[in-house]
Amino acid sequence: MKKIITLLVLVSAITISAQTKYEKGMMKAFELWGAKESDKAAQLFERISKAEQNEWLPSYYVATIEILGSFGLKDEAKLNSKLKKAQEFLDEAKSISPKNPEIMINQALLNTAYIAFDGQKYGMTLSVKNAAIYKEALELAPNNPRVILSKAEWDMGSAEFFGQSIEPYCKDVEKTVPLFEKEKLPKFYPRGGIERAKNILKKCKKEN
Amino acid sequence: MKQPTLLFLLFLFTITSFSQVEFSGKVIDHKGTPIEGANVYLEGTYDGTSTDKNGNYNFSSSETGTQTLVVSFISFETFYKTDIVNNLNNLNIKLREDVNTLDAVVINAGSFDAGNKARAVALKPLDIVTTASALGDAVGALQTLPGTSANDEDGRLFVRGGDANETQIFIDGIRVFNPFIPSANNIPTRGRFSPFLFKGLSFSTGGYSAEYGQALSSVLTFNTIDQPDQEKTELQFMSVGLGAGNTQIWGKNSFSINTSYINLAPYQLAFPDRNEWNEPFEGASGEMVYRYKPNEDGLIKLYGAFNYSNFDLIQDDINFENGFNFALENTNLYFNGSYKQRLGNRWSISGGMSYTNENTDINLEEDKVNDVENSAHFKVKATKGFSNRFKLSFGSEYFITNFREDFFQNTSNSNFDYTFNNNILGTFAEADIFFSKKLATKIGIRLENSEVTNQFTVSPRVSIAYKAGKYSQFSLAYGQFYQNPSSEFLKFTNSLSAENASHYIANYQYIKDRQQFRIEGYYKSYDDLVKFDGVVASPLSNYTNTGEGYAKGVDLFWRDGKNIKNLEYWVSYSFLDTERDYRNYPTKATPNFASKHNMSVVGKYWVNDWKTQLGISYRFATGRTYTNPNTTGFLNEKTKNYNSVSLNAAYLISQQKILYFSVNNVLGTQNVFGYNYRNQPNANGTFDRQALRPNADQFFFIGFFWSISDDNKSNQLNNL
Repeated sequence: MKKIITLLVLVSAITISAQTKYEKGMMKAFELWGAKESDKAAQLFERISKAEQNEWLPSYYVATIEILGSFGLKDEAKLNSKLKKAQEFLDEAKSISPKNPEIMINQALLNTAYIAFDGQKYGMTLSVKNAAIYKEALELAPNNPRVILSKAEWDMGSAEFFGQSIEPYCKDVEKTVPLFEKEKLPKFYPRGGIERAKNILKKCKKEN
Repeated sequence: MKQPTLLFLLFLFTITSFSQVEFSGKVIDHKGTPIEGANVYLEGTYDGTSTDKNGNYNFSSSETGTQTLVVSFISFETFYKTDIVNNLNNLNIKLREDVNTLDAVVINAGSFDAGNKARAVALKPLDIVTTASALGDAVGALQTLPGTSANDEDGRLFVRGGDANETQIFIDGIRVFNPFIPSANNIPTRGRFSPFLFKGLSFSTGGYSAEYGQALSSVLTFNTIDQPDQEKTELQFMSVGLGAGNTQIWGKNSFSINTSYINLAPYQLAFPDRNEWNEPFEGASGEMVYRYKPNEDGLIKLYGAFNYSNFDLIQDDINFENGFNFALENTNLYFNGSYKQRLGNRWSISGGMSYTNENTDINLEEDKVNDVENSAHFKVKATKGFSNRFKLSFGSEYFITNFREDFFQNTSNSNFDYTFNNNILGTFAEADIFFSKKLATKIGIRLENSEVTNQFTVSPRVSIAYKAGKYSQFSLAYGQFYQNPSSEFLKFTNSLSAENASHYIANYQYIKDRQQFRIEGYYKSYDDLVKFDGVVASPLSNYTNTGEGYAKGVDLFWRDGKNIKNLEYWVSYSFLDTERDYRNYPTKATPNFASKHNMSVVGKYWVNDWKTQLGISYRFATGRTYTNPNTTGFLNEKTKNYNSVSLNAAYLISQQKILYFSVNNVLGTQNVFGYNYRNQPNANGTFDRQALRPNADQFFFIGFFWSISDDNKSNQLNNL
């Protein structure tokens, strides 16, 4: 999980240019996040989200930080509080930007946090939800490397569970590398994944 | 040169410092402990900061005029204060705990919840369908919880010394009038409803909400799935029949259908039981749910179920030389519609209705009985949240039952007609109050006006819960419960009034890290129970409400999913002391459905290498009472103890194919539920007897379940 956090922070690298108040605020938040002050970063994102009613990214990042921070928690009450907060901000982001594949895969990540905590309790309902989310996200954005990658990772997880080959999904992951490379994204847009994809490909090569 | 620059700079500095307003203060919790890391900011601006470890904060802003200061922190209610900026400085802010969190107190005396929304979950969704002894019947899984008795000859829920009629079942808050498939003597029945249409259930063994009435002992509420996640087709091939289901989703609509056909003929050919079957059990059922979501906050659900069952058998009976012939044909049509809408301002309303038509033809040797029951339930409920800590619900409902029986008696060659209407108007109001995260109460009252008993009843219900430590809590509950006499009596008389029970419950619970322990003591007193004279209830009997009784006991529950990897298990134990004087009892006695000690152990172990879940359940109950006519006394002897071990295995062939196997009572223990004595003594002057045994000691089941969906992911684990 640490890896994912570092990657997310790294790839959310910021290009410096003429700055509006929003840009300054977002940059400051990313700075905090990069400096491992993720609580402070989340709080700044939260303030920005409340001030900028038309931007989905601040809410999206509040949710992201809470979700990532919930993995590995042992206390269900704490986990639930964090994920409930994440859900609120994801819902906020969804209402600003409906049918957004980036938000959708974050929703799937949130569900995964519950499943990882207690598969018996949450697995049955939420894994079906995740499957549906990935399916819809892929329909909306067939060339979004993060969508393809997240879906492939999810599929690999279940294939491994059932002792099946992960090979068919390796091809999907391979596809994402050039997509990541040529991706041109608006400012502050989530852009993580290429390192994660390369790591998975290493694992794929080992298995074959 | 120097001086003007300095002056200028100074001037500039003054301007800025004047236009910057300071905001400082301290954030504490209700005990005065500083809160570190709370987010303090001016709403709509980027200006803000986090509190330090002493709860202090300090930031400045160039905003002027009236502003809103916001303090938010996880697990606490967000604090807002709107004022002109100068009044927002030097604040001492006390945050209120959010009572809507998993570690807050829960009012749960008497009740068990299943599903993933509930805070204290006794059964997880998969448990309902993977408990070895339950054979996929939700009610069967509940029989492994404390407070229930192992009555395998019946299959329904017997809760805390109450008989099966004292439990009512609701779907989406709407009553189900005939929830069980009819069966012959000594053959357990099953619920009519396939468990996979439901997302959760709550089983209350006493002290339940004022929303529910007409149940002396227990209510069981199911909630159907709000919105299915995907389209799919499901096929089931079982040793006892076939099943198929399909779900479609389009726009704001979704539709699910489920059908099954059960025929026990091949099974009974392979494993003959104690009965002679003229026509083995044959059943067909169909269920469908249509859901429509008109807007984000509203939902309409229509649920319909049709059920047909038919069998004809000859059961050994000591009083009938050639056995006793019993044949039954039953059709049940059930419809349930419900509507939920959240309105603004924390108001929400829900309403619904259900209609049941049940038609049963029974042949008892040469006598014929035809029962027709038409029932309906209408209900409206409104909820208003005044704050996170105070919620009020109230509503009204109307039950209609029309029952008609035609009885043809062969010996007298005559027909008898019995009919009655049982209409009840109920009104309820209930308040949920959180005094703090640690102390909460629920206070309710239920009023009922019954036409058949010509009676107006008032039932107060109170429960209170106190969280004593991080993981433990105490609860108390009290309630009055009324239920009209069953159709068995109402068809013969209209002079009866409602039966009554009072519950007193004390509960302690400890939950930590996937381990759960609870102990609950209760006392239940029964009043106004129906009594009659004669061997059976008949039109000639005299009926009164002079019966009474009590039940008291202790229920223990322990669940552990922590200590051993991949193993989940729970242990239930119930101690029950009950006596009652009702029906045609000559004296107060422990009824024959109640055992003093009941225990269940259920274990599930997931073997990852085999992709298989293995399950075991063991149920034990001490003997049940029966009357031995060779001695004097009533219900004065006890059968031997009941023991049953069941095993099951679910093997995931692939994501979408599951092979399931189960065997009930694997040790073949010869259980006895009671004795049937000959009506006349033999030559020695003693009465001969016959043990009442289950139909078959063991039951095997093999099934193959196949799901077909777009994503190739879902399976029917939730179906098993």
